[in-house]
Amino acid sequence: MSDMSEVRKKQDAFLDKWISGEGIEFVSEETKAAYQERAGLLAAAFRLDDSIKRVPVMPMTTFAPTMMKGISGREAMYNPDAAGQAYVDFCETYQPDAAGAAPMLMYGPALETLKYNLYKWPGQGVPENLSYQFHEKEYMTADEYDKLISDPTDFYLRTWMPRTHGALAPFADMPPVYGAMELPMLGPWLIGIGAPPMQEALKALMEAGKQCFDWINTMGAYLNKIMAMGFPFYAGGACKAPFDVISDSFRGTTQLMMDLYRKPDKVLEAVERLVQPMIDAGVAGAVANNNPIVFIPLHKGADGFMSNAQFEKFYWPTLKKVMYGLAEAGCIPGCFVEGGYNQRLEYLADTSDIRCMYLFDRTDMAKAAETLGGKVCIAGGFPVSMILTSTPEKVEEETKKMIDVAGKDKGYILSIGCALDEGKHDTMLAFCNAAKKYGQY
Amino acid sequence: MQELIDAIADMMEDKVLELTQKYLDEGKDPAEIFDAYQSAMEEIGRRFEANTYFVPELIMAGEMMKAGSELIKPHLKEDAAGDKSGKIGKYLIATIEGDIHDIGKNIVGMILDLNGFEVMDLGVDVPADKIIEAAKEFQPDIIGLSGLLTLAFDPMKAFVEKLTAEGLRDKFKVMIGGAQMDQQVCEYIGADAWVTDAVAGVNKSKEWLAA
Repeated sequence: MSDMSEVRKKQDAFLDKWISGEGIEFVSEETKAAYQERAGLLAAAFRLDDSIKRVPVMPMTTFAPTMMKGISGREAMYNPDAAGQAYVDFCETYQPDAAGAAPMLMYGPALETLKYNLYKWPGQGVPENLSYQFHEKEYMTADEYDKLISDPTDFYLRTWMPRTHGALAPFADMPPVYGAMELPMLGPWLIGIGAPPMQEALKALMEAGKQCFDWINTMGAYLNKIMAMGFPFYAGGACKAPFDVISDSFRGTTQLMMDLYRKPDKVLEAVERLVQPMIDAGVAGAVANNNPIVFIPLHKGADGFMSNAQFEKFYWPTLKKVMYGLAEAGCIPGCFVEGGYNQRLEYLADTSDIRCMYLFDRTDMAKAAETLGGKVCIAGGFPVSMILTSTPEKVEEETKKMIDVAGKDKGYILSIGCALDEGKHDTMLAFCNAAKKYGQY
Repeated sequence: MQELIDAIADMMEDKVLELTQKYLDEGKDPAEIFDAYQSAMEEIGRRFEANTYFVPELIMAGEMMKAGSELIKPHLKEDAAGDKSGKIGKYLIATIEGDIHDIGKNIVGMILDLNGFEVMDLGVDVPADKIIEAAKEFQPDIIGLSGLLTLAFDPMKAFVEKLTAEGLRDKFKVMIGGAQMDQQVCEYIGADAWVTDAVAGVNKSKEWLAA
């Protein structure tokens, strides 16, 4: 492990570059100043900077900006102009300190081209007015650990993608690429690529890529506008805890939980093997978007899913390695700690020598502040139920309470403990305004 | 039998099946072997309540119980096993309309089953009318609605309203479960209880039945 002060310097350098807003064509000097102030507030929270002026507010959103405008989930995923404009409007209306990552809505037509089945989405398995939803299944069998361990890329390409991307099913018959090392052995691989079903699959991949490229070019105009108006984005890249990759996308929760007893050594090898790929994925996004924050949604390590002993053995060590790997590349790991982590807070305190953030969902924020305050940046904890079913007055009152409880150590970012699929105007406004009213230090 | 009970409770799956087969081969009373499984399940339940066991152990327990039953059943006299495991209550469970998530629901169903409930699982994305219809038929003590998304709140609320409109609200306890459930949501929906994890759901159910 590198000298940690050097690692923090690298993180600070990336943060400074991000705060400067270099390369953004701002609308005016005022919006440039606003951008720098907002990004600066977030950075100060990550740095546990004592001179921070105010608690930053950062509502995480998926479909909320579109749904709040009456745009269906289907429309949000098929019309990048509508989705992009909704994200612009959300920033204008609520003036958050960080804007949501609109590209996380993804583009329905590309998913259709790929016959994607890892998720169901509006109009394709769920009603058009709703959001996309994960479709967990056993996409990797118990006897395939060695495949994954020996070569994760090959496993993705020739085993997992054919099962989760229907149009890429022929990839399962692709010969291994390794023959390409020498002319006489190159033939088999290329012949496999030339087979008609493979050609169809490659065409589908080309088409989906083109669709996504056009989509982001359209949406990009709105993303640029959001930054030009003075709003930094809350994430540049994303990756996952290795355990969650296996649990969510490969084995399925139930199967993996049995593997902990039936083949614990294979699980340990596999999570270890996914560390570098996850670091690479996170860093690539952060660098491409010139934004150091790497979003890591945490799932199956939550309280109730496993014991502390299991967490310590199977979940935490490789998540921590991913976080440190990201930090060494100058990135800020931002864990979205879904569920409750009341039994795990001590572990999180271990990462106090890097700049990182833990955004909590159902964890007791008083306890989080007590255990982690002054050590790492904490965020979130505000109940989405208040936003959806309560009144502006109550939301304002609860927001003040949350800031008092969680914000006392100056390393707190106010956020709702949930990626918002929906919202209500008056309570959302009350929430964002309350941060500015009560969050002054 | 203590060796078998310990092996089950300690999650030694291979040894459990070996011992079960061995006892059967030796001509031990299958009902007695089945009792050992029941005793082990009780012990697992205790460890669960003491927070030493979590989801992985419950899933393993379910797996061992299933595999063990398959070995034992052919040797059991009819109705012996069924009656001994006497059900303590009926639970109707479903993921509400619009939501297709089922991990939480399935774990709850499995633990309820291990705890002696007769469980009817209607699956995911289930419309209110279908749940009400099934409830009329099955006559559960408790109806459990699962939903991961906040978008599940309104369909759950609509379900409770329908139940009330049909004059059935007092006949069943209604429990809601999911990541974003809290008292605020519970009141909004008009449910009797909310839980965010499987154990809490099972404990609450047992508490209701004992009342």
